[in-house]
Amino acid sequence: MRTAPVGVWQGRIIFIIVLVIVTFLGYGTYIFSLQVINATEYQQKAQRVARRVIPIPAQRGEIYDRYAEVPLVMNIPSFAVDIIPAEVPDADRNRVYSDLAEILGIQTEDIRKSIPQRYHHLYQPVEVKSGVTFGTITELAERINDFPGVTWHNKPIRKYLEIGPISHILGYVGRITTEELQILYNKGYDINSALGKSGIEKQYDEILRGKDGERYRTVDVRGRSVVDSSSLDVPPVNGKNLVLTIDSRIQALSEKALGERIGSVVVLKPATGEILALVSYPWFDPNQFYTDKAKEVFTKLSLDPSFPFLNRAIQSSYAPASTFKVIMTTAVLEEEVFPLNKRVTCTGELPYGDRIFHCHRKAGHGSLNLAEGLAESCNIFFWTMGSEYLGVERITEYARRFGLGVRSGIDIPGEIKGLVPSPQWKEIQYNVKWVGGDTMNISIGQGDLLVSPIQMANMVAMVVNSGITFVPHILKEVRDPVSGEVLETVEPKVLQTSSIRKETFKTVQDYMRGVVSNGTARVVITTKAVDVAAKTGTGEVGRNQTEQWSSWFASYAPYKTDDPDEQVVVAVNVEGTNEWEWWAPKAANIIFQGIFANQTYEEAVDALNLWYLRN
Amino acid sequence: MRNRLFFDFPLLISTASLMIIGILFIYSSGVTSDGWVFSNEYIKQIIWAFLGLGILTALLFFDYNRYRDLSSSLYIGFILLLVITLLIGKRVNGARSWLGVFDFGIQPSEFTKIATMLFLAHFLESRKNSIQKLSTFSISLGIVMLPVLLILIQPDMGTALVYLPIFFVMTLVAGARLRYILFLFIAGMLTIFMSIFPAYTEMLLHRDLVFNDIISNPQYIMIDIVALSIIGIIAFIGYRWLKKGYYYWIIYSLLILISSLLGSVLVRMVLKDYQMTRLIVFLDPGVDPQGAGWNVIQSITAVGSGGFSGKGFLQGTQSHYRFLPQQSTDFIFSIIAEEWGFLGSIIILLLYGIILIRGMFILLHSKDTFGVYVGSGIVAMIFFHVIINIGMAIGIMPVTGIPLMFLSYGGSSLWTGLIGVGLLLNIHLRRYSY
Repeated sequence: MRTAPVGVWQGRIIFIIVLVIVTFLGYGTYIFSLQVINATEYQQKAQRVARRVIPIPAQRGEIYDRYAEVPLVMNIPSFAVDIIPAEVPDADRNRVYSDLAEILGIQTEDIRKSIPQRYHHLYQPVEVKSGVTFGTITELAERINDFPGVTWHNKPIRKYLEIGPISHILGYVGRITTEELQILYNKGYDINSALGKSGIEKQYDEILRGKDGERYRTVDVRGRSVVDSSSLDVPPVNGKNLVLTIDSRIQALSEKALGERIGSVVVLKPATGEILALVSYPWFDPNQFYTDKAKEVFTKLSLDPSFPFLNRAIQSSYAPASTFKVIMTTAVLEEEVFPLNKRVTCTGELPYGDRIFHCHRKAGHGSLNLAEGLAESCNIFFWTMGSEYLGVERITEYARRFGLGVRSGIDIPGEIKGLVPSPQWKEIQYNVKWVGGDTMNISIGQGDLLVSPIQMANMVAMVVNSGITFVPHILKEVRDPVSGEVLETVEPKVLQTSSIRKETFKTVQDYMRGVVSNGTARVVITTKAVDVAAKTGTGEVGRNQTEQWSSWFASYAPYKTDDPDEQVVVAVNVEGTNEWEWWAPKAANIIFQGIFANQTYEEAVDALNLWYLRN
Repeated sequence: MRNRLFFDFPLLISTASLMIIGILFIYSSGVTSDGWVFSNEYIKQIIWAFLGLGILTALLFFDYNRYRDLSSSLYIGFILLLVITLLIGKRVNGARSWLGVFDFGIQPSEFTKIATMLFLAHFLESRKNSIQKLSTFSISLGIVMLPVLLILIQPDMGTALVYLPIFFVMTLVAGARLRYILFLFIAGMLTIFMSIFPAYTEMLLHRDLVFNDIISNPQYIMIDIVALSIIGIIAFIGYRWLKKGYYYWIIYSLLILISSLLGSVLVRMVLKDYQMTRLIVFLDPGVDPQGAGWNVIQSITAVGSGGFSGKGFLQGTQSHYRFLPQQSTDFIFSIIAEEWGFLGSIIILLLYGIILIRGMFILLHSKDTFGVYVGSGIVAMIFFHVIINIGMAIGIMPVTGIPLMFLSYGGSSLWTGLIGVGLLLNIHLRRYSY
């Protein structure tokens, strides 16, 4: 072998040869691990990159009232117009945009904004406007040659046929937010999902939404379909229809009876817990959320000081005031602490400690037994019962037995608990001892005691059913969207059973009838259609005595019946900001007249001869 | 016997095979998934290939020693060409690296490699007896750094980088002192580390490390250098006084540190943001999966999904759905690996292996030092191109935009490779003629 010329370091050349061989072996090994050992992983990754899944939206279920005939909420056909940016020739881009903007009635700028320059080579359709009518689509289709790259797809919009306080029951649907998605991701929602935001739409979203189908496309890097993969498509499963317990007729009647007064009405069937009507004023129109002005409307409603988004029937709580005397009466009867014929004398005022408590009738009620005390709603009578005969422990125990201080479990989201104060609660909350004055306050349903209208309705239901209440509910049935077949029926579910004797409740029923036949509600409840039993209430609003009174009416009818199924509980609350004092019993009067005489609001008003409500 | 070994056939055949495979896959990269051929790059590449083979043949007519005499004029000529490129060159992908007439253009920075190799070989040969001197080493470095600087100004960092292994291998083979070579090598690595590390940690961890300040804050660098210099001076005094060898190595290490500190300051001034990002993305492509990391991730996916035997010619999904960027140039290896699988990758590595090993044996049997030096430069150049480009495609080297010689689309790089092979063949051909 020849040796290398002088000036060449052979050893170093051999070192380089070794370096080359070792490097190549290393590369070969690494490529082996990529292409042979981990090949599957990369093959899946390559498929994922190239495969797009486009959801085929499922039709959202419709919502009906209890007679399941005319829908309250439906989907109306509508279209969304898309642009496939890469299919618009650059030379025509400006003209296509401005012509399209003109037809759709939007600004050319809006289109430009939704399709920035960097999208121009994409084959992914970009939605430029939704809620486009069939007429506009026809117009587009006729001139389709003028609109290269413009397409459309079906995008039905939610239409709420009944607008008014019923919006609080139905709720509305909106785009899912990032926060909501984080919670719901595992339930099959994605960033484009629509989601019920309140009411029934939110509560039963999973039933209503159905399951989106999937359209598979294999695409290249610009999003252009390259291979037909339609065999993999999964058709959508449409959402199911809901039938509510709401009776449209009673709902409309109750809405009109409350009128434009801030407050709420609950009409409940005590035998099953079905809600026949649920009214809260003011309200919002969800249809406006699907228009171009959605954002402004939403902001305006959110800032409205009367809180139109608040469902007062379940989300507001008030001092129950004199309606609480129903519970006090039950306690006195059940505990047998005060004989029925024993009397208390009301002089109009009661000194207690260093204060003097006044009855609402300054002159005093005179001598009263329990039945008369409830009928006249005498404060001095119940102060005496509370502070001398029952004591705070028993009062709060009975309040709880009637379901106060806990959620009723109604199937609308956002229900509040209210509050039943107790000495322990006061000490923890304010670090102040419970004093006799607090017992005086709670005895007449004032102080820190807070109840919501739905709880009030349940309180009456407890009396009507003589010791049992059912979970109030709004969903009656789930039905198949195509065949109409009933898939699921909601059965009454017991909310509370009470160990209080049936006879006690019978007596309370009689006494509540007394309130209407010869007590505080005598003048107001004028309906002849049915015998009403009830308790009125006038609550102080605020702690600073602003001379505003909220008006309560907790009632049921018929007072006595052999068929519990025809009985109806009506609870009305009218907030203290209204001109009309005492409106709660007046509204209930119209509602009972309408329900039991089978009349509309106008007919009921005529029948009751309420001249001041006629136009 | 002599006639039979007239040509080094393994070298020639490997080169030709790579060129043919290259043309096949340049064609593949120009075809969409529905079979539409949208690019005629493969036709251009065929023309380049034939013209290149012509040049290669022409080179063989003369003894390579004739090129030694031309080397200084060639070197000066190409340096001038680089300057002209800077002045009137065409801007492609942000770098002013093209010199063109009408549609045809060349990249002078590619051919300058050959001219620099010839000139450096000539110089090293003339200093055969003083090869161990620092002055020889420094002038050699100067010869290489002149084109490197001109190319960095374009700026085309990838191409400029190729000159470094050429320099290292040629001086190594010529017998320069290892300590000089190591000094440059270690200082270079440290410079890169010090330039990138602070930006890398900042991008990944979103916080500053105290250590980063020491190597990136100008104030600290001043203190660093002053401190290191003081230690250096003490060591120097010690060396003169006690004549102990370890003082020499202390000064040696300190100088490495000082120069890499200064170097990193310079690099941070010179490197563009996107180049910085690229280097960081190389360290972790996940930093920016939609942006700078996209190419690397798509390329690794293409290679990995090829599997053992590949998806078949023209059947690659990553490439034909165009997820893979720059398929005909920078990422040609990825498309080969996707469509021909592990077998294809190994064939490519083997073909390059043959070229390199054959090249080294040609060196060992060269009749004179000039041939050895030129040959080693060529081997270094091809080796570096292969390592960096394939490494980039499989995600173990940064994206630097260096083409894969013989495979990638592009006349200048192909011709440079063929001229290199031509020179190797020439050295082989005339190994006996004294």
